[in-house]
Amino acid sequence: MSGDMVTLTIDGKEVTVPKGTLVIRAAEQLGIEIPRFCDHPMLEPAGACRQCYVQIEGQPKLATSCTSTVAPGMVVRTQNTDDTVAEAQVANLEFLLLNHPLDCPICDRGGECPLQDQALEFGPGESRFTEAKRVWPKPLPLSPLVNLDRERCVLCARCTRFCDEISGDRFLELYARGAGERVAIAAGEDFRSPFSGNTVQICPVGALTSTPYRFVARPFDLSTADSVCPHCSAGCNLKVDLRRGEVVRQLARDNLDVNDTWNCDKGRYAFRFPDSPDRVTTPLIRDRGLEPASFGEVVERIAGWCDGKRVAFLTGGRLMDEDYYALSKLARTVMHTNDLDHRRDGGLGVSADALVASGTATATYADVEHAKVIVVAGLDAEQEVPILHLRLRKAAKRGAKIFVVGPRVTRLHDVAAHILIRAGAEGEAFASSQEQGSPLAEVRAALTEVGEGGLVLVGPRLHDGSSAWSAVEFATRSGARWAAVTRRANDRGALVAGVAPTLLPGGRNVQLAEDRAEVEAAWGGPLMGAAAEPGRDWRGILEAAANREIDVLFLIGVDPLRDYPDADLVARALANVPVRVVQSLELGSLEPYADAFLPASAFIEKDGHVTTWEGRSQRIRPVRGGKGISRPDWEIFAIIATTMGGDLGFDRLDELHADMAPLVASRATTTSDVSPARVGPIEPADGELALFTYPLLVDDGRLSERSDELQAALGTEPFLELHPDDAATRGITDGARVTVRTVAGEAELPVRISDGIAQGSAFVPFNQPGFAANTLLRGTWTIAATVTGPDTDDSAEGLASVAVGGESA
Amino acid sequence: MAIFEGSVLDDARAVIARYPKGGERSALMPLLYLAQAVDGRVTNDALVEIGKLLGITTAEVEAVATFYSMYRLRPTGTHVVNVCTNLACALRGAKDVYEEAHRAAEMDHGQEVSDDGVLTLHEEECLGLCDFAPAVQINFADHDNVSPQRIRELITSLREGSVPEPARGPVMKSFRHASRVLAGFDDDPAEGAP
Amino acid sequence: MTFERRLTRDWDDPSVVAVDGYVAKGGYGGLKKALEMDTGELIDVVKASGLRGRGGAGFPTGMKWSFVPQDTGKPTYVTVNFDESEPGTCNNRELGERDPHRLIEGTAIAARAINCHTAFIYVRGEYLWQGTVMERAVREAYASGYLGKGIAGSAYDLDIVVHRGAGAYICGEETALLNSLEGLRGQPRLRPPFPAVEGLYASPTVINNVETLMNVPDIVFKGAEWFREMGTEKSPGTKMFTVSGKVERPGNYEIPMGTPFRTLLEEYAGGVLAGGTVKAFTPGGSSTPLLTGADLDLALDYESVAAAGSLLGTGAIMVLDQTDCVVEAARRMVEFYAHESCGKCTPCREGSWWATRVLTRLENGYGRQEDMGLMQDMGKNILFRAFCALADGAASVINSSLKHFAEEYEEHVRLGYCPLTGAPADRTPAAAEEVAS
Repeated sequence: MSGDMVTLTIDGKEVTVPKGTLVIRAAEQLGIEIPRFCDHPMLEPAGACRQCYVQIEGQPKLATSCTSTVAPGMVVRTQNTDDTVAEAQVANLEFLLLNHPLDCPICDRGGECPLQDQALEFGPGESRFTEAKRVWPKPLPLSPLVNLDRERCVLCARCTRFCDEISGDRFLELYARGAGERVAIAAGEDFRSPFSGNTVQICPVGALTSTPYRFVARPFDLSTADSVCPHCSAGCNLKVDLRRGEVVRQLARDNLDVNDTWNCDKGRYAFRFPDSPDRVTTPLIRDRGLEPASFGEVVERIAGWCDGKRVAFLTGGRLMDEDYYALSKLARTVMHTNDLDHRRDGGLGVSADALVASGTATATYADVEHAKVIVVAGLDAEQEVPILHLRLRKAAKRGAKIFVVGPRVTRLHDVAAHILIRAGAEGEAFASSQEQGSPLAEVRAALTEVGEGGLVLVGPRLHDGSSAWSAVEFATRSGARWAAVTRRANDRGALVAGVAPTLLPGGRNVQLAEDRAEVEAAWGGPLMGAAAEPGRDWRGILEAAANREIDVLFLIGVDPLRDYPDADLVARALANVPVRVVQSLELGSLEPYADAFLPASAFIEKDGHVTTWEGRSQRIRPVRGGKGISRPDWEIFAIIATTMGGDLGFDRLDELHADMAPLVASRATTTSDVSPARVGPIEPADGELALFTYPLLVDDGRLSERSDELQAALGTEPFLELHPDDAATRGITDGARVTVRTVAGEAELPVRISDGIAQGSAFVPFNQPGFAANTLLRGTWTIAATVTGPDTDDSAEGLASVAVGGESA
Repeated sequence: MAIFEGSVLDDARAVIARYPKGGERSALMPLLYLAQAVDGRVTNDALVEIGKLLGITTAEVEAVATFYSMYRLRPTGTHVVNVCTNLACALRGAKDVYEEAHRAAEMDHGQEVSDDGVLTLHEEECLGLCDFAPAVQINFADHDNVSPQRIRELITSLREGSVPEPARGPVMKSFRHASRVLAGFDDDPAEGAP
Repeated sequence: MTFERRLTRDWDDPSVVAVDGYVAKGGYGGLKKALEMDTGELIDVVKASGLRGRGGAGFPTGMKWSFVPQDTGKPTYVTVNFDESEPGTCNNRELGERDPHRLIEGTAIAARAINCHTAFIYVRGEYLWQGTVMERAVREAYASGYLGKGIAGSAYDLDIVVHRGAGAYICGEETALLNSLEGLRGQPRLRPPFPAVEGLYASPTVINNVETLMNVPDIVFKGAEWFREMGTEKSPGTKMFTVSGKVERPGNYEIPMGTPFRTLLEEYAGGVLAGGTVKAFTPGGSSTPLLTGADLDLALDYESVAAAGSLLGTGAIMVLDQTDCVVEAARRMVEFYAHESCGKCTPCREGSWWATRVLTRLENGYGRQEDMGLMQDMGKNILFRAFCALADGAASVINSSLKHFAEEYEEHVRLGYCPLTGAPADRTPAAAEEVAS
């Protein structure tokens, strides 16, 4: 090991660091601060700003510590011990400030600006510059989210290097040269990168600012707290800034194990939902209408409805680990049912689900970064788990070979090989990969070659049960590791807690006696009645509700009319179930249905954990107190249990943790090797296409509400994407409005023709403003569809469209 | 209207083929010249089209185009007259040549194109003609030992529609012609003529 | 002074521009010999000759070639730096134009030495005609079998691609040149990795200057000892010098290394224009510190010029006579660096820009007493602080002009106008505003 370590001296202090370390990093380890602007630990060294001079003994010139790597016995002097270095730094700051407007009093960065801070600490204090400064028109909007004030820019190239090295979205470039050099974007282009906000955060001056925060606050007005992003399963660590209790800004917080130092624009800018005017922070009960009532009163009524009745629970994917656990226990021990589900797809099949929920099958970001061959199956990482996308790019940069398997080309196109497979046929492709002529032959060979260095990421498009299982078997056969990637912030936590019809906490199968016994031992009694049998999944619950086989339906943090891939079924279920209890931040489209409403706390108001797609449970502390009389979901479940005469065994969070910990701890399990039944989509017949859908990053989701700048920057109208050949055979041209028809409904959408989609497939985003694609679905995320162009339109006028807009808007 | 179509697209492909596989981006500079040969300057459309040809963003193309002084992204005369005023030429009276060029062309300082559209004047850094100072280039063809009187003759000739014979090499009939040569196509000068 | 001209020996014979004429005079003989040698032997000959790079830095050429690793599994590249842009320098232009096949031959030998099969000649854009001469010569060389498959009857394949620059002095810096050749902005790269290890297309690359490579055919053909017959022990061979400015016969002259400046000035360049006296001169282009009329007996070789406090650089001697203003000359030279700064690093981008403004003010008579100290500081704060050596050129001008001509600066400040042009500066408010901007 010592061969890989280097010992050097900085300002007379010895430090030992790994070979290849930059001097500036070694100095940081000693607590020696060397001023810098272009240096950023996540970017390649540039040596551009020249602020970080040091004297390295034996070298004729001053060196920049951000580009010099350590050497054994190296003797370094910084500004603290060398006057020449200190003078050079002062001189360089004088140069840097020549053209800087010094408009700190009106600059968003004022008070937290590296240029301001370092000019104060290391700068000349006064300038000898008497000429006129360079000026530029200001600000230059780069997108609806990001603005550029070029005269503040010190040309450190952090933003352009981020676009080049990290996101690969090369919108920002340095133009021209010399004193005319500037950061610029091509005329007519927008900075349409879902990672654009990172450039604002790493700008060492106030040159890049974000519209949502521009002129909103001064740093001393803010109170700041750490949190974790509530949007997707990436688990990005955040800093949340509040002004007078309202969130005004979110920044990425460093966590090298998770998000490095980045986040996506949704995580950064979609922060207004907890303060939405639609938020309801009072319990409601339907009397002559929905009317405010006390928690106690509402819970009493709910308890009465549930007592001895058939109760089912549907949740979203963004509650906390604690909430899911409390619900899991409430359902089984108080309501005696396994009719609970957090999902809206077929999952991995119970065997693979158990492997994931028990922590047996998993991978971390570090595993992604260091894998040699990665198969990204059924996942559009940039749109669904953006930080995983960045980590995949990082892996590619380190030399990993990446294959993307799915029906649509992703933004990994420049670093990965895409194997396009018709939507819904991915599972079969994995299952038959050993056959002659398999499109996955190359992938298999690459995986087999690296053994444990291979990793298969099983994404949401495969989560129909059997397809996921095929991918898992494919990975196992090739000697590769695999991990499931889900989409929402705490899908994984819900699965671990057992908010699933067959799985108890920790991936324990309710059908397996020894698994059940472990849970019963922990919970202090046998699971009784229906709780001892597998329950219904989300679809089963909705069908049962529609058939009046369920008495009380809990809808927790979910907006079923928008979220489930069968709008018609949801509408029937809501209409036919006698009692609907809604527990959420707002009523949304459930307002006409709710019989009772329980106001839940938003994530920034809660104390608990959220589990990333990797299975990493991250602590979140409240950044502010609860709004109104809203309460954390787990507390509400505990109150319901008590009111019904039960006892979850915890009233406080620490008690809950003690109760939960033994059951959700990782444990080794073996699979029961039950191949799930095929629940795939209908095979498209002749002339039909496999229509598939998934939510884009910026869509009409509840958590993006009021994030207008985000919508303007990255949103898109609804569209239907078609392969050129499929368009040609139908006489459809780019931009034409076409009719899409499935067994569930029909819609008229503008067409985008793209060779980035598998032939025979058609894509529609799940939930763009103005069109909810679940009106075309019948329980699966892929469905056979016919597409007809305007010229070949033979649709009967009488066929009423259930599609566009509609009740889900 | 597309710039890279027909024979120009063939030329572009030939330019790209000069470079090793994987090094296609090296064609960016000659492609900018090729576009400049078509339009007399590098237009926004050219930036977009070149980006598409090479699989890079428009911004990446423009970043390069704005870095080098021989690409003109702004309106440009039929002929570009470069007057070197760097030290070796300055010591031999280049400043007077430059001023006289403006008078002869009836152009103000900072005016990009003469009113008749014929000329763009450019104060140049060292052209590598120090042994023939003061030096001038018309469409990058050399003119040696240019006195103020001589620059007036040269400019008058250009304004009258005739391009003077340079000191070495063939006449560059226009800035477009020169751009085509700079893209590496010198076999058929007529091809590049306006 | 008489000696056997080497690089310029065929300058009076236009027939060598064509391949037949070149071959008739023994051309491509060095290449044929090189193709029969093994690469180690070839590099050793060039090492033994003591040939040093003529582009400015004077690095031993053979050693440069020997740094190229042969076992990386990647191709290797030779890139010819024909981006001659240092103000005052134009010998590469004339060398290439008058004897293009010698450059091709030198390039081919260098390629052979490092096992390169694709070489590039990067010609500065403004050398439109010379670029065309090279393109035509390359086509002829292909047609005559000196390039392409099995060059000069051997089994060795070599392609040469002529690539035109587009107006950027910085591309003479070898890593900026590589970026430019890759279709990027011509900004210099961090070193390490050095081009010999990771250069063009991240592959091992040798970058040589035109004059350097044109020495190579004879070195291979006639041997290292022959090369050392002229010049000095540490700077063997002849060197091209460009003399310009206030001399009777500006031009490119080949002289043995170590020849006194006085000989070059008087015997070759015909002395100072109109019988004037040398006030100042650049020994190696505008980026090398100015010397004065007191340095006429300076021997022109790397060591002697360095000992006098300057650099041999590209051998570009620009002569100022007693009527020329040093402040104005400094202003114009520093303005050049401001114009050509690539913008990447602070001291160069901002320093050269600021210095140009202060020098403009001084020359126009708006100088202030404290400007002297400011310029001193600025020179100090730019020199050796920038990413690459470009800014050092600006600093050298500032520092050397202040060192030798401080009183001339002071006089500008004292008089409020340039003492040499004599005309009092126009002090209208408009002019003052222009100066300030």
